[in-house]
Amino acid sequence: MTGAEDDRRFEELVDGIVVLSSGDLSNRLPVSPKRDGIDAVATGINLLAEELQSMYESLEARVAERTVLLEAAKAELRRVINTDELTGLASRSLLREKAAEAVAAAEGGRQPALILLDLDSFRLINDSLGAAAGDAVLKEAALRLSAAAGPPHVIARLGGDEFAVLVEDREPDSVLQIASRLSEALKDRIAAGGIALAVTAGIGVRFGEPGLDGEELIRDATIALHEAKKRGRDNTQVFSSAMHDAAKQRVHLVADLRTALVSEQLELEYQPIVDLRSGKIAGTEALIRWRHPTLGLLAPDAFLDAADEAGLTVEIGHWVLSRAIAQTGQWNAAPGLSRNFSTHVNLAPADLHHVDLAPYVQGLLGQHEVDPQQLSIEITETAIMRGGPEVAATMRSLKELGVAIEIDDFGTGYSSISYLRALPATQAKIDKSLIDGLATDGQQEQFVAAILQLIHSAGLVAVAEGIEHREQAEKLQQLNCEFAQGYFFSRPLPVADMTALLMGADGSAG
Amino acid sequence: MPDTDVETPPGPDIVSLGFESDGILRLSWARGVVIDAPNAQLAVDRVNEICQGRRAPLLIDMATTASVSRAARTVFAQPCDASAIALLGSSPVDRVLANFFLGVISSPVPTKFFTSNADAVRWLTSQGNDGG
Repeated sequence: MTGAEDDRRFEELVDGIVVLSSGDLSNRLPVSPKRDGIDAVATGINLLAEELQSMYESLEARVAERTVLLEAAKAELRRVINTDELTGLASRSLLREKAAEAVAAAEGGRQPALILLDLDSFRLINDSLGAAAGDAVLKEAALRLSAAAGPPHVIARLGGDEFAVLVEDREPDSVLQIASRLSEALKDRIAAGGIALAVTAGIGVRFGEPGLDGEELIRDATIALHEAKKRGRDNTQVFSSAMHDAAKQRVHLVADLRTALVSEQLELEYQPIVDLRSGKIAGTEALIRWRHPTLGLLAPDAFLDAADEAGLTVEIGHWVLSRAIAQTGQWNAAPGLSRNFSTHVNLAPADLHHVDLAPYVQGLLGQHEVDPQQLSIEITETAIMRGGPEVAATMRSLKELGVAIEIDDFGTGYSSISYLRALPATQAKIDKSLIDGLATDGQQEQFVAAILQLIHSAGLVAVAEGIEHREQAEKLQQLNCEFAQGYFFSRPLPVADMTALLMGADGSAG
Repeated sequence: MPDTDVETPPGPDIVSLGFESDGILRLSWARGVVIDAPNAQLAVDRVNEICQGRRAPLLIDMATTASVSRAARTVFAQPCDASAIALLGSSPVDRVLANFFLGVISSPVPTKFFTSNADAVRWLTSQGNDGG
């Protein structure tokens, strides 16, 4: 073997390694029949190259295989995220995506609109017929809504009983027509749980406008839907900016109200209730007020809806009860009250849904040494009618304690006469709206007389509210109405003033 | 790709295969053969055929082998009737091939590389020749 020959072979070896290291792992180095050291190096490198090549290839094959699996898993995940499992409609997340795309696609042209629907009383279906029946209703509703909306609109189920239709490139009139079709489509009875159900929906519509993004579209349609639901069944509302302002105000009010509860901003005023037969003060109605740091003294109308939305109704109800009963206890001690004097407290349906209300009241009465008969709970006629078995049970428990139940706003609801007799109530309060024309309108007088007769024949005692003139008080006295309250006697008073009034020599008023 | 290579059909790459008087089965490859998977499988089949289920020590003369493919090595990794395998070579190329073979696969039976025929036979005999 010559040196020159070896040099040439080394050269070849290096060239071969250069090719391999450039990435061509299929290259093999020449091995001569000599099978000497140079050949051994070449053989070793060839074997390593083959090993490496094989590893790379199997790695690439594995990566390709895993990539296919990963893509399939991603596609499946996307399908799951974008589809409502129960109905097969688009999901909330897909609706958001599509709303954003529709807004972007509209540019300066016709903006997309959104129709939101929420089935009325759906919870009742679920609660009374079971979840399977509820699901059947939702599936059928989905089919009908899809058929009514027709392509190409995106139809989504946002969860629960809430549906959405994203309408693109339509004039407002056309959007409203679609909303009306959707509402009508639900009205044919749906078979579920062995019966045929009539389904209606509340509908909120938001027309698109330039500058409004997809999220705002959904938010505003939700506000409109909320408004529609507030107005009762089968109602459609189109979003207006006033709704937005009101919603914003409510949000602030709710936040403030939470603070109010803990920082003693709530207080009670007391309006005297007069016995028309004796002219003496027979009781008082506790009325909640909110001393708002910036808005001043607020009446309950201004904040009780917000309390309801915030879920604070029960907490506020408990606060009112505890404060009013404590105050009655203090008046019992000084100046001393007749056992016939009663403090009236208004409660909301939500309070009466709590089975622990009666024990709670019992505890407070004992703690403040107040006779049960010195407390009267006022519940609106509508709350009683809609309350169901829990409300009826709570009323019975309160009555068993000896607490009086009073039907508030009597004459404004739709009580049936037979139902009225069956109630555990002892008093009925005639609404102010019936009293207003009493002294001037002869027909109204006859009407009030009839109502009083109705109340008396059901074995109840009548309290008239909203008395503003002497003539009204006299008329009611003639008609044998037992009790009355109103500005004519006294406006609602702060505690100190009410206490002073009770300390008056004979407690007479008016 | 790679654990099959069928370019070379099983053919006359095995020069001889048979028992020697000492009870050792000796396999000699043709000069310059590239042992690929079909070749390897042929060798294993032939060994099994001759042994007929009896375990026998195997001496593979690879002194003239050009290379052993990756696929072939996996064939040799499967159990056959050989009770022990001695790889016999002489050149540095043989040494690289044999040690690559030994290092990469885990042989199911004791396997060792020798440069001396006598050493190989001695080792095989000491491995408990039960095929004689």
